[in-house]
Amino acid sequence: MSEGVDDAALVERFPYLRIDHDSKHFYRGWLDERLLFNRCDACERFHHPPKPVCPSCWCASLTPTEVSGRGVIHLAMFLHQGPPAPGVDYTTAPHPVVAVELEEQEGLRFTSTVIDCPRDAIRIGLPVELGWVDRFGAPFPVFRPLEGS
Amino acid sequence: MARNPIRDEIAIVGLGSTGFHRDSGGRSAKALACDASIRAIRDAGFEPGDIDGIVGAAEPGGPNPNEMSAALGLPQVTHFSSPMPVAVFALVDAMNAIFSGSCSTVLLYFAYTRLPWNSRSAAEDPFRRHHTLGVMPSPESVNAAAAYAAWASRYIHEYDARREDFGRVALNARAGAARNPLAVMKAPLSMEGYLQARMIREPLCLLDMDIPVDGADAFVLTRTECAREKTRNPVVVHAATTGLVGTNDEDQLPSLRRHGQHVVVESLRAKSDLWLEDMDIFFPYDGFSIITLGWIENFGWCPPGGAGRFLEEHWDPQAGCVMIDGRIPLNPHGGSLSEGATRGSGHIREAVMQLRGDAGERQVAGARNALIGCGGFFFNSQGAILRRL
Repeated sequence: MSEGVDDAALVERFPYLRIDHDSKHFYRGWLDERLLFNRCDACERFHHPPKPVCPSCWCASLTPTEVSGRGVIHLAMFLHQGPPAPGVDYTTAPHPVVAVELEEQEGLRFTSTVIDCPRDAIRIGLPVELGWVDRFGAPFPVFRPLEGS
Repeated sequence: MARNPIRDEIAIVGLGSTGFHRDSGGRSAKALACDASIRAIRDAGFEPGDIDGIVGAAEPGGPNPNEMSAALGLPQVTHFSSPMPVAVFALVDAMNAIFSGSCSTVLLYFAYTRLPWNSRSAAEDPFRRHHTLGVMPSPESVNAAAAYAAWASRYIHEYDARREDFGRVALNARAGAARNPLAVMKAPLSMEGYLQARMIREPLCLLDMDIPVDGADAFVLTRTECAREKTRNPVVVHAATTGLVGTNDEDQLPSLRRHGQHVVVESLRAKSDLWLEDMDIFFPYDGFSIITLGWIENFGWCPPGGAGRFLEEHWDPQAGCVMIDGRIPLNPHGGSLSEGATRGSGHIREAVMQLRGDAGERQVAGARNALIGCGGFFFNSQGAILRRL
């Protein structure tokens, strides 16, 4: 949980990420297994990755707002080699990395991997939903095929 | 026509290159940059005291302009800067510095060194150990290099592209490199060989990615009116531009039909008296093969999604490379895929060599105009048109 986690502790929970004052709310949300995207208080548009002002209207009043995590795969690649990470073994199978366009807003995307899905089914256009796995003892957001799709 | 007061006003009067190698044999990036710079200054017929501007692309592991000025003993400079890669950022900065009067003559250098994160042998070099990426990135990222594999997947999805479409970019580059003494990858490459290459970030394989090298390119730029004192027909920059769309975070890019390359093409076209039909050589950047397909389409040589077919239709089986309409080669020096990952300086250098008539067996007869599309889709799209007066 993010309650009581100060900035120093937040950075320690995610040693593999570059967190700054613009993205700290986003990553603090991970500790609660919530995907929080900046939403503009004035024009109500989401943006990602987190920016200090709304790129649509320059309003600096932004609220980290939970998104559903449901969407459709927009980009899909398979890493045959890459940076080391727990649970990622490139020698067993290529590691899928997808950018998912979220249902909240056209063009709003989030990038992660896909779990619980056969390789051949991981394709552009596949509906997916958010799930959480453990990475270095902290929650990490991933996608899995949308149930019933 | 857009305002372009700098049109034809800046000339490239000196060239120097170390050539490109998998291993420089114990030479530092600064040593390579000095080698290329001294060649370029001598090629221009200048002395150190003639250089009052120094611009060096901020390549990882490369020397800063102040370090280069110290190494070369330049008495004093009034303009020095270190623009981000890729090459046309630095070219534009050098041009603007001269045109505005910040300085009169610029040494423009690009030094490349294999780094521990892109070369296994570099990782074993104790003198390169201090180069680190800091926080190790997660695999689940489509940032930087990975972005091109991710968007290549989209390209294949939207246009039903085949691997052969990408492969022709690699084959064309290899054929050029075989004719270029500066190039690193000269072994012949067949489509079969391309298709069998190791996948790295599927759908892109090893041969879709530029090849890390040690080496350096350098240029000397000055005002065209000064260049005319030495040669009647200097090579000049007719137009140059960079281009960016607002939403340029890699995974948030609007689409394959709206990104930095489109801004570059619109800007360049508005600034230039010359366009596709006037060109003798075309340099579409090839840090990744998908970038080349993008430049071909976005300059308007063919419709979106048509680059694969275009390369096939304009393939010269005799030469084993592309010849648009039987006369316009693409990256005849071998590009970043086979000459070496010069991040665009190789493309500019080859354009100047061709326009001077110094390109040896690669020479395009009577070449007057060259079109360069440099950089990729996100935050380093740029372009230039070079011509011989």
